Amino acid sequence: MKIVLDRPRCEGHGLCEDVAPQLMHLDEEGELVLDIETVDNDVEPAKAAVRVCPVAALRLA
Amino acid sequence: MSMTLKRIVVVGNGIAGLTAADSLRAAGFDGDLTIVGDEPHAPYSRPALSKAALLDADDMTSHQLPPSTHEAQEVRGVSASGLDADRKVVHLDDGSGLPYDAVVIATGSRARLLGTGPKTEGNAGRCDGELTLRNLEDALTLRRRLTNRPSVVVIGGGALGMEIASGCLSAGCEVTLVAHDRPLTRQLGPYLSGAFLAAARRHGLKLAPSHAVELRSTGGRTADGRPLVVLADGSTIEAELVVSAVGDAPNVEWLASSGLLTNGRLEVDARGRVRPGIIAAGDVAAFPTKHGIQRVPLWTSAIEQSKAAALALVRGDEAPELDFQPYFWTEQFGLSLKASGFLPLAGAPEFLEGDPAGGPALMRWSHDDGSGTAVAINKRIPIPKLRRLSDTAPLVASPTA
Repeated sequence: MKIVLDRPRCEGHGLCEDVAPQLMHLDEEGELVLDIETVDNDVEPAKAAVRVCPVAALRLA
Repeated sequence: MSMTLKRIVVVGNGIAGLTAADSLRAAGFDGDLTIVGDEPHAPYSRPALSKAALLDADDMTSHQLPPSTHEAQEVRGVSASGLDADRKVVHLDDGSGLPYDAVVIATGSRARLLGTGPKTEGNAGRCDGELTLRNLEDALTLRRRLTNRPSVVVIGGGALGMEIASGCLSAGCEVTLVAHDRPLTRQLGPYLSGAFLAAARRHGLKLAPSHAVELRSTGGRTADGRPLVVLADGSTIEAELVVSAVGDAPNVEWLASSGLLTNGRLEVDARGRVRPGIIAAGDVAAFPTKHGIQRVPLWTSAIEQSKAAALALVRGDEAPELDFQPYFWTEQFGLSLKASGFLPLAGAPEFLEGDPAGGPALMRWSHDDGSGTAVAINKRIPIPKLRRLSDTAPLVASPTA
């Protein structure tokens, strides 16, 4: 399963990092960086990150 | 997991119901899951409705959430009309009933209305011409009405009212805001209220001098049929469009004879439980916070409550209590604010970055109990970092009662 980021939609809330810090983080500029894009073991945190985003900038494909 | 937990019914298909369903699956519940809700749509992002969804002329996707993975049976466009806790059945307004072993109450809240006017079909309790912004239909209606650039009166000086006012100004409308108090003061405190008011005035927002407002339902129109907003002193403001944002009311009426309400409120414990086998989460539920048992009708609040409650439904007392960490954001008048910690804020902040003159800033307020609230304005910052800043103990730590 792959995490897909719709970068233009991302507003940098960072709630995704809050629930899945092992998968993603906001860099110094506040841009979201996907540290791990293909998730096979961390599916639940990935789902949680997708769910918590208030602008739906993340999805699983 | 309890062996008897085979059928769970989730009442409410907003973000709380959706998160509860996801969390029940994540916690290992693999039985029958049914989600019933009165909204005809898939769950969407409510915060987006008063932000990007009002502003983006062509893009009407900012509120859409990714498809769900909980594989629940979803019943949309149907309301729950009652709950029989003894027989363990949720009654629906189409006359049917859903038996359950456990139930999740996530029916959310609705916009409070100023109106006491005639209750006509589709206009229950609304004053003539009163719009609100709570659900997707409201947002679509407001967008449609704004295309003609009407003059707008927004009633309500909270975050929602100010976001609506900002959106209407961006759409090219003349906007007057009517509020009991100085806008955002009750929500954010005087310092941030001042910053937002200054930005609002720069963007052309007019503030009506009012202490109370009445929206007349009959006889409250100008000769050419515009609604009239009547202020406490008898003066009137006419507008082509009146939008009210005067708070929300929890959807608990369907539980009136369920025996679950306490003084009209749906109160839950620190694990979201109303009683064994019944949990509640989201805008409908009043839960224990360090400022007492209260509803906190915000996006992250709904998500955190739902996760904690769902886990407690499956695991019982082994599940951790809700450790509620308030997170709030708003976008209006060119300012984007993120706040971690309790609001409103008294006094002036310590500036960690930036300065009071404006521009991107990172601020912190210290509270008497040793906790703090960290606020970022026009600055992208990871929420974990903002949370750490709010948690950081002050240099002089002296616990006070």
